[in-house]
Amino acid sequence: MEPSRHLPVTLSVNGSQYPILIEPRRTLLDALRHDLGLTGAKKVCDMGDCGACTVIVDGKAMYACLLLAVDCDDREITTIEGLATGNELDPVQEAFIRADAFQCGFCTSGQIMSLRALLDANPEPDDDQILRAVTGNLCRCGAYPNILKAGRLAADLQAQAASNGQ
Amino acid sequence: MKPFDFARPETIEDAVAMLDARPAGHANGSALLAGGTDLLTLMKADLSAPDRLIDIKRLAELDNRIEEDEEGLTIGALVTLAQLEEDPRVTALYPALAEASSLAATPQLRHMATIGGNLLQRPRCWYFRNPHVHCWLKGGDECQARQGENQRHAIFDISPCVAVHPSDPATALLALDATVRLRGAAGERELPIADFFAPPTAERCTETIIRGDELIVAVRLPAAQGWRSTYLKAMDRKVWAFALVGVAAALRVDEGRVIDARLALGGVAPIPWRAEAAERLLAGSDISAEVISHAAEAALDGAQPLAKNAYKILLAKALVRRALMALSG
Amino acid sequence: MPEIRVKPKQGENGTELELIEDEGVRAWAPDADLQIVGQPHPRLEGREKVTGRARYASDVRLPGQLYARVLRSPYPHARIVSVDIGKAEQAPGVRAVIHAGNVPRIPWYEEGVLFESTVRFVGDEIAAVAAESEEQAEDALRLIEVEYEPLPFVSTIEEALAPDAPWVHDDGNIAGEPKTYERGDPDAGLRDADVTIDAAYSTASALHNAFESHGCTTFWDGDSLTLWDSTQAIFVIREQVAEKLGLPEHRVRVVKHHMGGGFGAKQIAWKHDVIASLLSRQAGRPVQLMLDREAENLAAGNRNPTRQRVRLGARRDGTLTAIVADIHQASGAYRTGGEASNVSGTYQTLYNCPNVRTEQVAVYTNTGPAVAFRAPGHVEAAFALEQAMDELARTLEMDPVKLRRQNYSEVDQLEGKPFTLPEGLRLSYDRVADAFGWGAEKPPPSSESKRRGVGFAAHDWSGGTGHPPGYAWIELNADGTADVITGTQDIGTGTRTGLAQVAAEELGLPLDCIAFRLGDTATGPYSPVSSGSATQATIGPAVRAAAAEVKAQLLEVASSVLEVGADRLSVRAGRILVDGDEERSIAVSAVTEKIRPHTLQGRGARGPNPEDKTIRTFGAQCVELEVDIETGEIDRLRIAAAHDCGRIVNPTLVDSQVVGGITQGVGFALTEERTVDPRLGLVLNANLEEYHVPTVADAPAIEHARVGVPDSEANSTGAKGIGEPPLIPTAPAIANAVYDAIGIRFREGPLSRARVVAALAEQRAQGEGSRP
Ligand SMILES: Cc1cc2nc3c(=O)[nH]c(=O)nc-3n(C[C@H](O)[C@H](O)[C@H](O)COP(=O)(O)OP(=O)(O)OC[C@H]3O[C@@H](n4cnc5c(N)ncnc54)[C@H](O)[C@@H]3O)c2cc1C
Ligand code: SF4
Ligand code: FES
Ligand code: FES
Repeated sequence: MEPSRHLPVTLSVNGSQYPILIEPRRTLLDALRHDLGLTGAKKVCDMGDCGACTVIVDGKAMYACLLLAVDCDDREITTIEGLATGNELDPVQEAFIRADAFQCGFCTSGQIMSLRALLDANPEPDDDQILRAVTGNLCRCGAYPNILKAGRLAADLQAQAASNGQ
Repeated sequence: MKPFDFARPETIEDAVAMLDARPAGHANGSALLAGGTDLLTLMKADLSAPDRLIDIKRLAELDNRIEEDEEGLTIGALVTLAQLEEDPRVTALYPALAEASSLAATPQLRHMATIGGNLLQRPRCWYFRNPHVHCWLKGGDECQARQGENQRHAIFDISPCVAVHPSDPATALLALDATVRLRGAAGERELPIADFFAPPTAERCTETIIRGDELIVAVRLPAAQGWRSTYLKAMDRKVWAFALVGVAAALRVDEGRVIDARLALGGVAPIPWRAEAAERLLAGSDISAEVISHAAEAALDGAQPLAKNAYKILLAKALVRRALMALSG
Repeated sequence: MPEIRVKPKQGENGTELELIEDEGVRAWAPDADLQIVGQPHPRLEGREKVTGRARYASDVRLPGQLYARVLRSPYPHARIVSVDIGKAEQAPGVRAVIHAGNVPRIPWYEEGVLFESTVRFVGDEIAAVAAESEEQAEDALRLIEVEYEPLPFVSTIEEALAPDAPWVHDDGNIAGEPKTYERGDPDAGLRDADVTIDAAYSTASALHNAFESHGCTTFWDGDSLTLWDSTQAIFVIREQVAEKLGLPEHRVRVVKHHMGGGFGAKQIAWKHDVIASLLSRQAGRPVQLMLDREAENLAAGNRNPTRQRVRLGARRDGTLTAIVADIHQASGAYRTGGEASNVSGTYQTLYNCPNVRTEQVAVYTNTGPAVAFRAPGHVEAAFALEQAMDELARTLEMDPVKLRRQNYSEVDQLEGKPFTLPEGLRLSYDRVADAFGWGAEKPPPSSESKRRGVGFAAHDWSGGTGHPPGYAWIELNADGTADVITGTQDIGTGTRTGLAQVAAEELGLPLDCIAFRLGDTATGPYSPVSSGSATQATIGPAVRAAAAEVKAQLLEVASSVLEVGADRLSVRAGRILVDGDEERSIAVSAVTEKIRPHTLQGRGARGPNPEDKTIRTFGAQCVELEVDIETGEIDRLRIAAAHDCGRIVNPTLVDSQVVGGITQGVGFALTEERTVDPRLGLVLNANLEEYHVPTVADAPAIEHARVGVPDSEANSTGAKGIGEPPLIPTAPAIANAVYDAIGIRFREGPLSRARVVAALAEQRAQGEGSRP
């Protein structure tokens, strides 16, 4: 077995460029957590079975554990660390706190990223669309009803903010 | 995952050449990387250890678009399940495919998973996926599932392997009479999806007849005038599970009379399963609850359940009835 | 300073001493006018969790940190002939490799050691590697050469008990002494009964699948060790790791700020804690060792599968004359120490019955060790007992709730003592029946192929009571804010928030003036494991006692500032109030600033529970659902729940515990089942792919009918625990509702799609047709 070559890759995460040298087998999740020190996305199953590693890649929610980092070099990646502006939380984050949409918090960044991706694509989702958006995010603590409430609340907060902004 | 090299060819030809070639030290050969959602799970479990991954997602010639012409729809190999789920032409003309795609996996996976990779995904048999088991399909002597925990396994015994094909879209594509377009060192060929899938044999321990140097370029659907179709899926939980049974039905009905029928079952055999006896029974019949009941019986004719999966027969019959009812209503 | 007393008591090892500490506060009256306790409040750590900044054990990043992986047995039972680490040591990036040949023989489990020479389940630890990256550690594992001599094995309870069964341990397959209990004359009770029920039930092994796996990051500074551990018990880990490594306790520091769930499986030092510490010492670098999902599901605990034969005897009017339960449980390959599930308990205590016998036998199997899992024992027992009660109600043609009311117990029948809140269960019955509409006509099913059913189940739980010891310190800063310091841990239940509310209430400060510190043995005083739904009820009174002490000092200072007797002063919402003279109220900070840089400090200890009464938590749930008789799908679940947890400190947190518990109960009822191939001894679904926990689409509609009656005799806050109970009655209530819908009794769980479809087919074959 040959040790594989390291490749230079530039990851574009939350608007910053991160040039790194990695093995091709490094997943985006490991690259985020280890090479970039962004530990918000969590590793629970590493097999596409849980959703805790969800990040937004080119506008779409995806599992970082099933993407190779080398495969992401020209893609725009957003992680949970990129949502808040300074001290101001994203409406989805705010809604999660208000609706008590988590217990242990380990699935939370994944849930929030899925809902963020939904609201980016569809700012006025109905309840069914909110539910479908988080069907790929398990929560072992069973915070589901409050996650759905948070999704609804986030859409409302975002709409409010938009109308206030106008 | 074991270490591997990473390559990004510019053209399909280059990709084919890379697949064909075996550089020194590459005893395990190369593998194509599309969405990676199946390949990486296999590699993480050490079930696949290619020396090189060939990234085909950026091949300019390999399409991630859905094109319509008078002969039907051409779906590029890189089209994702999310696209299939949402594309207005697919939802309108080929609802079975849109429904199968939307019932597969999760939103995140559907954004990543391509149709090409979906047809080539490997079985989810829990012996196959367990690195400690060297079962028949992995080159061992014995199928562990036959005498083992086979509640999720096949009820049509057509191969030494009784794993079921995990794909939902494949079942729909079979009922929609799709063809698969392949390109390899010897050029391009197109074949009916029914011929693309083939039960694993001792010589070829895979579920399709694709050659080692070939790529799926596209999946093509014939024009759909007059056809109605639907896909139903029974799972262990409400979402995010492979089908216990999947049923895709397509009917052409004229004033209550079935002109043509196609019925495919998933979760019942190592490949998507065409229920031809039921199709024959339906074709030309005046659709009624009774006909539908007979068709459901005929669809499961010849099923030979293993010790723990007889329930699948009942489940499949129920879904067949429901799917046909829905289309005849 | 509060008073302390030393009391001798008989323990397992002869006479032990119990320290009895006085809390120095009286319980809040049930109708006390509380400002902060009882109010909903979002979790204090919310910001950290929603921004991804909350640091879990796997998020620790230290300079030079290595990553470890463990080589685990592929055989259910084998003798290790040899282990060769030569190649692994030479692999790129590898900094340490350990196995039986190069580490001390650290005693483990009953008669074993850290790295056993005989492995007893697939997943048993053999060797471990630390390398620069996880990938390199994995590469090195593949290079470790192990020669095994496979041995015969047993996978199930039945196999373990077979006369010629291979033995898991040298002394056979019975794990510890069988537990028997008897009162009255159960045989006579059965004989004299008008009706009897005799049914055999079985429950599957469930896998915790806490989202954060077990694991830790370890770091040595000289001969002092720090572990960031994913644990429910920082002080237990400290004690056990210190013992295993021969260190004094003050040289071991255990930190846990956040944890991604534990559900009972993280109460002890597991082998990986010591493995990581040894690797770290050998490499001279920090080491992170997190279990992957497969290892988590193989080797870090599971809910024991059970077989339970239940016999009930009753008179025509429903009065129970006998309860007899013969119970077998599979402990897996090892006993992990005091964690065996008490399956017998609820048979002995839930219903009033003079004649009860339980016999509980634990067996070894060559599978991963079983440990506590949220309401251990009771969840398994309730599946059987509460279905048997339903069977009894049907036999008697009696309403199942009425049957339970008929057999109501107001006393702890084991000890002959009354309960502190004897109406707790009755209140649960009333509220849940009311909220659900029990007895109302069922709405028609949503389609022709569906049948609708309703079901009921009750539970009791010996946890949730809280107990000494447990400590808290409070420092009231010169600016009027307070640090509350404890050594407890927040395992995701909201401990920080609930306890901070108790502190704020007693201190009379707004919640945002409180910083709540926990999760570090180096900074907080001793606190027990967060399990048994005990934390709020254990630490709450200690926090309150510390706050009361600080408040007394504050009022003393305020009395000099205001020149008013301290007995006329009180604190509320951050202000000192003078009785009868509103004008003179001043801010707390105006008082504390006067003594800057002094601070006021208090210490609180959890006092004893009452001696003449038993504290217990109770609850009940009603379920409505539909079963599709063609496809076997169970759908449209609606669940109402009422649980007596004493005073509700924070309804937001309690609601979330109830909803979360029920959701796990739905999984236990319908899909969660570890599947082991008995021929291979392999767990086939040690993952989240084929082990199906509920998704958002499986979550039922839940109504929590809060009981919320303070249990003022239980402790000074009147609050009891709620973490575990909501999971207990869900599965039997679902099974009872399924019976109501289709007339099929599922005595084997879970009610998977396969089982339901197969049973429907059998029913049809027998020509019984489904009940209307
Ligand atoms: C958790 C989970 C749940 C899932 N649930 C479902 C489900 O419910 N229903 C369902 O249908 N599927 C399900 N899937 C499977 C998923 O849909 C497939 O993994 C996916 O479609 C594969 O596509 P991909 O692009 O990711 O393929 P890859 O993983 O990239 O490739 C898969 C295989 O196909 C080869 N390949 C890919 N593209 C081509 C091409 N154009 N030509 C030749 N060879 C090619 C690769 O070399 C590889 O061997 C699930 C997967 C996961 C991980
Ligand atoms: S069913 Fe196929 S994949 Fe599964 S054990 Fe048998 S041969 Fe292997
Ligand atoms: S860690 Fe990626 S889906 Fe579980
Ligand atoms: S909050 Fe714990 S897993 Fe979702």
